[in-house]
Amino acid sequence: MSRAKLQHLGIELPPLPTTSVGSFPKPDYLLKARADFAQKQIAADALHAAEQRATEFWIRKQEELGLDVLVDGEMYRGDMTAYFADNLAGFAQGGLVRSYGNRYYHKPIITGAIAWKGPIALDWWRYAQGLTRKPVKAILTGAYTMMDWSFNEFYPTRRDACLALAREIRKEVEALIQAGCKFVQLDEPAVSVRPAELPLAVEAMRLMTHDLDAYFFTHICYGDFERIYPAMLELAVDNFDLEMSNSGLDMLDLFRKNAFRKDISYGVVDVHSHVVEDSGTATQRLQQGLAVLPRENVWVDPDCGLKTRTTNEAIAKLGAVVAAAQAMR
Amino acid sequence: MELRTLTHGSYPRIGSTPEEQILRKTIAQLDRGEKTEADVHAAEDRVAALALAEQDAADIDVVTDGLVRWYDPVSHLAGKLAGVRIGGLLRFFDTNFYFRQPVVEGKIVRTQPLVLDEYQWAAKKAVRPVKPVLTGPYTLARLSLREPGAPSFEATVEAMADALAAEVAALAGAGARLIQIDEPALLQYPRDVRMAAEAFGRIAAYKGRAELALALYFGDAVPLYKTLLAWPADVLLLDFTYSPDLPLVVAGEACGRQIGFGLLDGRNTRLEDRTLVLRQLEAMLHKCQAPRAYLTTSCGLEYLPRDRARAKLQHLGALKREFAGGMQ
Repeated sequence: MSRAKLQHLGIELPPLPTTSVGSFPKPDYLLKARADFAQKQIAADALHAAEQRATEFWIRKQEELGLDVLVDGEMYRGDMTAYFADNLAGFAQGGLVRSYGNRYYHKPIITGAIAWKGPIALDWWRYAQGLTRKPVKAILTGAYTMMDWSFNEFYPTRRDACLALAREIRKEVEALIQAGCKFVQLDEPAVSVRPAELPLAVEAMRLMTHDLDAYFFTHICYGDFERIYPAMLELAVDNFDLEMSNSGLDMLDLFRKNAFRKDISYGVVDVHSHVVEDSGTATQRLQQGLAVLPRENVWVDPDCGLKTRTTNEAIAKLGAVVAAAQAMR
Repeated sequence: MELRTLTHGSYPRIGSTPEEQILRKTIAQLDRGEKTEADVHAAEDRVAALALAEQDAADIDVVTDGLVRWYDPVSHLAGKLAGVRIGGLLRFFDTNFYFRQPVVEGKIVRTQPLVLDEYQWAAKKAVRPVKPVLTGPYTLARLSLREPGAPSFEATVEAMADALAAEVAALAGAGARLIQIDEPALLQYPRDVRMAAEAFGRIAAYKGRAELALALYFGDAVPLYKTLLAWPADVLLLDFTYSPDLPLVVAGEACGRQIGFGLLDGRNTRLEDRTLVLRQLEAMLHKCQAPRAYLTTSCGLEYLPRDRARAKLQHLGALKREFAGGMQ
């Protein structure tokens, strides 16, 4: 199925293509620039230059490592919800709420009708794609997750908020495709935790991708997949990017019971561990996956975004991803 | 019928003022080696005192210390038990909040108090009655992993219950008059209701003169409501945000228990329409035979920014006064 879609899009990829989920660690100079900008010590131009420099670093690094479908690394984003909320009409920035331990984030508040004001991530995709001949995947946060991870003071129901978001996010997807982007990922980590709302997530995904000419991924993580699998396969995307390694590959049991009938980006390294897997470990995990999944449907990547690792850890983990794919090709 | 207000459990430990940022800053400084554990405890005291003061100002009848010392509702308790180690991060139900998952390695034993010190500190500091909160045995067991060779799931629930029973006895002995047991996991696994009920019964046997509140949230309580009325809980605290049918079910069933009406959404910043809340409340109180009921939020308030959490508390206080005014 995927190969036909890729062929239709004019893209050739090796067997077991490699990619990554989206985010990479920000280098120290960028962290400093972001802090300086927040304290009004540097201008927006200077921050932008640092973001471009970091983006170029990661594009070059992914090329060097031999990844097949690249990402821009999200050097310009703080949080996956707030970044899009800040750039859509209808949102206000909320105060801090705790994520875990001593980590906090600004949770957006929907205070009015949500509207796409113009391209959000498009310029960064263009910039990153301009640096390489390899395809660059654009990463957006999906409507269901945007709704679930925001407060809603405007729409009467969660459903109303979710579908309004889907209609506006579709405009960003259309703009990306119009600019030449062929790989679009709509992150939906929130989908896995409210099984009763899966039909809403499916409806929203259809609104975002229906009849659009691109290869679509969705990334889902950290939930109780037993409760949404195989129904989640109804999400209108080509490829499910899933964390496999963090949960000890236990999802393979689900796939044995109900065949995984779409493409999968199969996580062979755990992003929440400082331990860098050697290529043997990553290869073994992939091998176990290939015993259950049709080879032509499998892509290889890390479990999740690598932004919480150090730069060296992230590079080493990406290296293990590539090595595993090469070993099994 | 007397209507009281209570804080469900957690309260934001961070806000926009420097004083409200003190705990986050001190923990970060501890991580960099610039502060000590004692400094963190002092910061926790300051933040808990602020939380108590804000609840008092909002006219909340039964308060908590905001659970500001808790890393999360699971590892804070399970991590103090022998036979359990703390593992990696996992999402807490359908929130965007993560807890550290306990791993049961062997026999579970309470070898030290879990929240007794926190309760005693808050009880001394507060001008209102303080309610200690414990995550229930079923939820603790359900959210834990078990090593090969560890006790079975059912045995883990029982062992957690015994540990919590000892804590409840200590809290009751220290003067707590209302102790809350949170069992959100039960709404996700209603088939285990008998196991959870037995565990709750083990704890209730040790409550002494205290009243026990059973708190259920993050799910639809409709399928379990009638069964829950038979549990040995003095107060049944329910989340009304997951089911449009729950008010109808409660209004349709005679009830001798005190009900905690979690009608204000603890996970959304929008303030509820007062008329609608009071109308729902009056319809449900009609069948309540207990002399008292509670009005509260659907869950702890840590999922909100502090200014919005404060607004919810103030809303609760205003609703209570309006209700009392209507009753006169």
